[in-house]
Amino acid sequence: MTFTPTAIRRAFDLDLALTAIAFKRRAAYKTQWLVGSLIGGTELLTSLALWSAVLAERGEVGGYDWDAMRTYYVLAFITATITFAGTEGLTAQRILDGMVAIDLLKPVDFQRARAAEYTGGVLGNLPTLGVGLTVSVLFLAPLPPVSFTAGALALLSVVLGVPLSFGLMFLSTMLCFWTRSYHGIMWSRRTITAFFSGLMVPLALMPAGLQAVVGWLPFVHIATTPSNIYLGRVDTAGALGLVALEAAWCVALWFIGRVLWNRAIKVVTVHGG
Amino acid sequence: MAANPASARHAAGVYRRSIGAYLRSIAEYPADFWVMAISGTFWQIVLFAFLSILFDNVNAIAGWGYHEMLILAGFLATSWGSTALFWDGIWDTGKLIIEGDMDYRITRPAPVLIQVASKHVGMQVFGDVTIGVLMMTVGWIGAGISAAAIPLALFLLLCAAVIQASLLTIANAANFWMKGRTPVVAFMLAELQNESMRFPLTIFPAAVRLIFTFGLPLAFASFIPVQIITGKLDLWWLAAPPIAAAATALLAVLAYRAGLKAYDSAGH
Repeated sequence: MTFTPTAIRRAFDLDLALTAIAFKRRAAYKTQWLVGSLIGGTELLTSLALWSAVLAERGEVGGYDWDAMRTYYVLAFITATITFAGTEGLTAQRILDGMVAIDLLKPVDFQRARAAEYTGGVLGNLPTLGVGLTVSVLFLAPLPPVSFTAGALALLSVVLGVPLSFGLMFLSTMLCFWTRSYHGIMWSRRTITAFFSGLMVPLALMPAGLQAVVGWLPFVHIATTPSNIYLGRVDTAGALGLVALEAAWCVALWFIGRVLWNRAIKVVTVHGG
Repeated sequence: MAANPASARHAAGVYRRSIGAYLRSIAEYPADFWVMAISGTFWQIVLFAFLSILFDNVNAIAGWGYHEMLILAGFLATSWGSTALFWDGIWDTGKLIIEGDMDYRITRPAPVLIQVASKHVGMQVFGDVTIGVLMMTVGWIGAGISAAAIPLALFLLLCAAVIQASLLTIANAANFWMKGRTPVVAFMLAELQNESMRFPLTIFPAAVRLIFTFGLPLAFASFIPVQIITGKLDLWWLAAPPIAAAATALLAVLAYRAGLKAYDSAGH
């Protein structure tokens, strides 16, 4: 393959096409958009009501005062909107009803195609994110980043959260090759992700032993890493280290996904033709 | 449908057989059962861990201590979780409407609501309720509430389960008018409850408290009963949950009936 601009663009034509389709699909379902905003908004407001009540009495918990906690949850809202982009149902359904047999016939890399669709889904979530962010900034006055570098690195961490979340989602979808229903797997993954990423409660509040273990899992980079960098709880060197670790997890999850996929298609049972 | 003992017995018989058939089918797909049961457990365990971590760092939230919060979380888990056991089929209402499947239920000689609600059992209930009861037990013992209050708690749990099943029915009935496979309103109700009702309503502004008490009577399904059990409310409040249960149940039946009247099939 020659590396002309046209050739490079053509190599990604399929990815762009799938991304565009997934984006349009997401954008077409306006009710889902509204529901997503309302649910995310409710979670944010409930967390804020809780911590407002607690911090009014105590002033500070786990190194977070009210300003920092408010900012933490606004950032958590942003990362949650990106993480739970919701294209997994389609993939899972295709495995469960056997349509994946057709996908196996297509000259398309399954994982790469799903990644493109996931990206489209995330982009489709951007309006929700935009509205939520505007409302949050206007009414909740989150803190600005401690420095420009911190802000830029935090943004990079959030962007890397997209392939990271995809990796986790893809792995959990693989389990559909071995079970008959996806709901339980999806709930478990969302629960584990929400808890170990810090979306439910800041990791700094967990016992030290648990924090040490959780820090090595991929989930932490979804919410805790960006907010730690943003709020200046780690210095620039620490921030770069965390982002590097996050990038390493993205790559690792991609390859683990490929290995699992190659095993899964050998065991797939498709009922009927 | 005439409201006489014979038809009520018939409805109960239909319900019992329908749910029984589904429970027997669990034995055919044990992997699914375990995946769902364990996933139900995960969420409740995470909630248990969340509360423990929270109270590792604070002493009380709006006057509620760790054990009282555990009772609240456990009560909600048990009452909401139990709807997945005895009323889970209602979530399929939207799908039945879109696919025109509702026709078969209407033509059968049994109440449509009973048929729909009993067609499915959410197996996550076994995880949800197990951990919910565990949380309530730990909270109960820690808060020093006497065992004499157990019948009271069981009665309140029953009222709560009825309220939640009724609200779930009304939310799913919205799909008769807002056509769509996914029960959007019901999801929002479930999310709202899981997010907000785990905490004492006193952390919310007054307007929100009013909405959750009288607008959407979710407070009667968790917050008020637990306040009665922990002694934060006088015992004469005991009249409130059963009245709320009866009122919401009536509204649910009326809403579903109105939906069925508005139903036009998908064509076959």
